[in-house]
Order: sequence, then C-alpha cells, then structure tokens
Amino acid sequence: MRDTATMPAPAAAPTPVVFRGGLFTPATSRIAGALALFGLIGLWQGASSLGWISPIFAPSPARVANALIGMAQSGELQDHIMASLARLFGGYALGMTGGVLVGLMIGLFGVFRSAGIAVVSAFFPIPKIALLPLFILWFGIGEGSKVATIAFGTFFPTVVATYGAVDNVDRSLVRMGRAFGLSTLAIITKIILPGSLPGIISGLKIASSIGIVLLIAAEMIGANQGVGALVLSAGNLMQTDQLLAGVVMLSVLGLTIGGFIGAIEKRLLVWR
Amino acid sequence: MRWLNKTGFMAAAAAALCAVLPGQASAQDKASVGVLRFVSSGGLFLAVEKGYFKDEGIDIQLKFFEAAQPIAVAVVSGDTTFGVTAFTGGFFNLAGNGALKVIAAQAKEAKGFEGNALLASNAAFEKGLNSFEKLSGKTLGVTQVGSSFHYQLGQIASAKKFDIKSVDIKPLQSLPNMAAALKSNQIDAIIIAPHLAKPLITSGEAKLVGYMSEIADYQFGGLFTSTNLIDSKRAMVQRFVRAYQKGQGDYNKSFATKDASGKVVHTADSDKDAALIGKYVYPTDTPEQAIPKVKASAFFADPQARLDIADIKTQIAWMKEQKLVDASVNADAIIDKSFIQGHLNDK
Repeated sequence: MRDTATMPAPAAAPTPVVFRGGLFTPATSRIAGALALFGLIGLWQGASSLGWISPIFAPSPARVANALIGMAQSGELQDHIMASLARLFGGYALGMTGGVLVGLMIGLFGVFRSAGIAVVSAFFPIPKIALLPLFILWFGIGEGSKVATIAFGTFFPTVVATYGAVDNVDRSLVRMGRAFGLSTLAIITKIILPGSLPGIISGLKIASSIGIVLLIAAEMIGANQGVGALVLSAGNLMQTDQLLAGVVMLSVLGLTIGGFIGAIEKRLLVWR
Repeated sequence: MRWLNKTGFMAAAAAALCAVLPGQASAQDKASVGVLRFVSSGGLFLAVEKGYFKDEGIDIQLKFFEAAQPIAVAVVSGDTTFGVTAFTGGFFNLAGNGALKVIAAQAKEAKGFEGNALLASNAAFEKGLNSFEKLSGKTLGVTQVGSSFHYQLGQIASAKKFDIKSVDIKPLQSLPNMAAALKSNQIDAIIIAPHLAKPLITSGEAKLVGYMSEIADYQFGGLFTSTNLIDSKRAMVQRFVRAYQKGQGDYNKSFATKDASGKVVHTADSDKDAALIGKYVYPTDTPEQAIPKVKASAFFADPQARLDIADIKTQIAWMKEQKLVDASVNADAIIDKSFIQGHLNDK
C-alpha cells in the first residue's frame, strides 16, 4: 500500500487525507423533492384562490382533490384503476416476457441475431397507436386490442434493452468461465444472465413507462372504464377537475410501477 | 416566479382580446364561425352564400371542425367568434362557467322530419335488432361520452322504458370510426347523422332501425358566442343574428315546407339552396350529385331560429342526472334570449 499516510513524513504531523471520490454523485434529499412539489401546488392553489387563474382554464388543486375524493367515495375511481391495471399487467406480462426471451435469443445465438435485429429494427419505430385500428379489427373492440397495443409497445424496447445488456456482459468473464471448464448452460446462467440483469431491468423500467403512455391511447377507443378512458371522457366533457384527477392517478400509477420494479431490482441485484 | 408570469400572460391575453374586439362598430366587422360540414348547419351556409352577412356589414370566415366539442373550446379561447353546432355535455360545462351563451337555434329533431338514424350492424340486425326497444343489452358506438348521440340514446331508453345502463356505450371518438366499427360488426348499433347514415344503408353495409324523430323532439344544436363578445360588441352580434335568421328562414322554406298531406315539398328554390349547401357538405361532389343528398338529409329548422327553451332545460337536467354536466350548471344562465324574440316553450 502506498498512499500519502505511509510515505516517510517530514517532521510535521501527517495531514489527514480528505475523501475526494465524491465527484458527480450528487446527494438526493427526499424532503427537498417533496417540498418542491408541494411548493408548486401551493403556488397554483394560491393563484387560483386569488382569482389570477380562471377556473375555466385550470381548476385549483383543491377542486382536483375534491374530484379525486368524490370519485374514490363513489367507487368509480377504484373501478377505473382496476380496469387499467388489468390491461397494463396483461400487456406487460405478454410484452415483457416475450421481449426478454426474444432479446436473450438474439443476444446468445447468431442464427436469431441477424433475423431478429432486422425485424425488431423495422418494427420498433412504428408508433403502436397507428396500429390501433388494425388491432381492433384483429383482436376486437374489447380488451384484446388494448392488451395487444400495450404488449406490442413494451415488447420492442424490452428486446433491444435485453440483447444490448447481453452484449455488454464482460467477455473476459465468459472466457474465464470457459477456461475453468464451465458448460455453456452454466456460463449462461452463472455469468451472462446475472451480468445482463441490470441492463434488462433498466429496459423494463423504460418499457413500463411506455406501457402507461400506450394505455391512454388504447383506452381512447371503445373503453368505458380505465384511467385513460376517464381522462378522455373528462376532456370531452370539459370537466377539467376530473381530467387533472385522472392525470394525477396516471402519475401515481407510473410511480408505483416504477417503485415496484425498483424493489425487484434491489432484491435481484443485491450482489452489486 | 411562476404566478407572476401567469398573471402577466393573462393580462397580455386580455389585452390581445381587447385589441381584436374594438368597441366601436366599424363598417366591415370581421367574424369567424366554427362549424361542421353537416346539412344541419345549412342555414348558416345559405346566409354566407347569399351574402346576408355582407349585407349586415360582417366579413365572415367559416372554420371547419371535425367534432362539435372543439368548436365550443375554440369560441372560449377566442379562436373563432361564433359557433354553430350540436350541444354536448362538454359544451354545457363550458357554458356553465359563464364563458359561452347560446343565442339562436340550429336544427332540431321534429316529428315528421327524418333526422338522425339508429343503424344496426348487419349481424345485429339478423339477430333481431330491428326496433328501438331491442337496443337494450346491445353495444352502441358514439363519438364521445356526453355527445348528442349519447343524449339521443337516453331519449330512446326513456321512451322505450329500459335502463340506459343496459346499453354498452363505446366512445369511438370520430364518425368514420363509428361507421367502420359498425360495418365490421364490432358494435351492434350507432346513432348517426342522416347524410352519413343513408350511404351506409344504400350500400347494404348497415340496416336502418328507425329515425330518431320518431322517438322525441330534440333541439340539438344552436348558435353560440362568447359572453365577452356579447358584452363588448352587442350591436355586431345582433346584426350577425339577423343575417343568420334569414339563412335559417330560407332553409326552413326550402326543406321544411309541407303540403296538405304532411309531405315535405321541394321547389326550384330547394334545389338551388341544396346546391349551395352541397358546396360545403360534399365539397368534392358536383351539384347534381350533391342536391339529392342534401335534400334527403335535411333537418327541421325553425324559420326564425328560435330556441326550444324547455327542451334545452330537459337536456341539461338529463346530463346532470347522468353526471355528464356539473350540478352547478344553470340552464337560464347559458341562454341569452335577448337577440331573438319569442323563443319556443319559454315558461
């Protein structure tokens, strides 16, 4: 070990070493974050209460909160959330599982790679909303087309993130495994899968947000229930307080799902 | 400071509005009207084509929209000065905030005039959807929740005494979506304007169940403007209404004149007027193609554009009951009766 402390010191007392490794790791404070949010809402409420913001253009936060409470009490809100969650999880289950599997195949096997990347690159940029009318013809106007939109929308980013993560696994580890005589299966399960997991999970995070965006699009056509349908019908009826209440629910939905994936990440990546 | 910017913005917007709406009446006032390319707006098209607005010193510009709702929003935001279209839940909510006032009538459903149609998909018709009361338990496509089609479903439900909740309402956002979903048997039925219904019936892509005028009268549309404009340029609004009334009068004469047996009679003027309306509703058709279509899809319109006040109150009450309109909305505050004398059913 050679650091300044063990260097032969001059007559003066050794100077203590200052930790200088904290570069670019800004500390986060939950309190400051919450304060910023609440401050913004407070300003908005204040401006509304003083009559600076016309209720025609933006309802006050208190009215939005009232709308939320009213819908929660009548049970309407829960129905909307349950309907949306069912569609979201159906879509996630299909899109993400399929995406991880296909991504792994592309990452691991040369045969799939060329074909898979070509197909994925061709389909990824298509806005899935544009396909919604087709999905309605194929899967019906009910739940099928909505789940399909979310599944297709989450599938492609998951595939891209997964094979990218597999590609990024340190090749020297794979070679070392080989040198120690590990079987192909063992290399995949012990080195490649754990190594690509962080990349896959960050891909899932992005895909889950895309899923929520698509949920709104999917619920635009022929849905009576769901947070997206709520936002849309409130917009159509110019019930701006309910519209913003729906938007708040979407944000909460996104945060909850993000938090859920974060918790899984912490558990699976405990070795980091 | 966010709120300072916001007040600044509001002040600027107010200043801009004042600049657009000068106080004194100039020789040629500019006005824009938001409207759909529907035969039901024919009175307005006639007034434009025959120069009634020019006679009143108003330089008019039509702005075409795809749905009724955005027109109300455009009038509130000041993008158009007037709107002529169907009432919707969103319209009543906006007007209830004091931003809009209904000043004259558009078209209405009236007994003896066909009006909007209830169409069944071929599959649903085969399974027995051939009368209004059989709509219970079926799926019905509408443009939006709270649209005039949604209200007409409410009229069917109360006339035929079934629970409106037994009908599965599918909001499909646009008229083409509704037609496409019906043709592909994705939904059982739609209520739709006659100029869109008739081609579907003649091509065999859908079946007619009945016309909505058989169910109930319905003042489904109106002429409206912003409360600001009425306050700042009342004289101009009055002149606008006069020109508009003349157009509605011509429309009534051409398409709602009946003979002794109660049949609508068309004259040479009807053909001329239909050709003028056809220019707007069927812009790609020749007059020969458009005339019969316009005549077949014409609604009843009051010759003086008088509103059926009681019916509008009934609509608002129903929308409140269905929670489509806020309970605070006051029907009397939405209608400005001062521009036309002798509105109908005004108790």
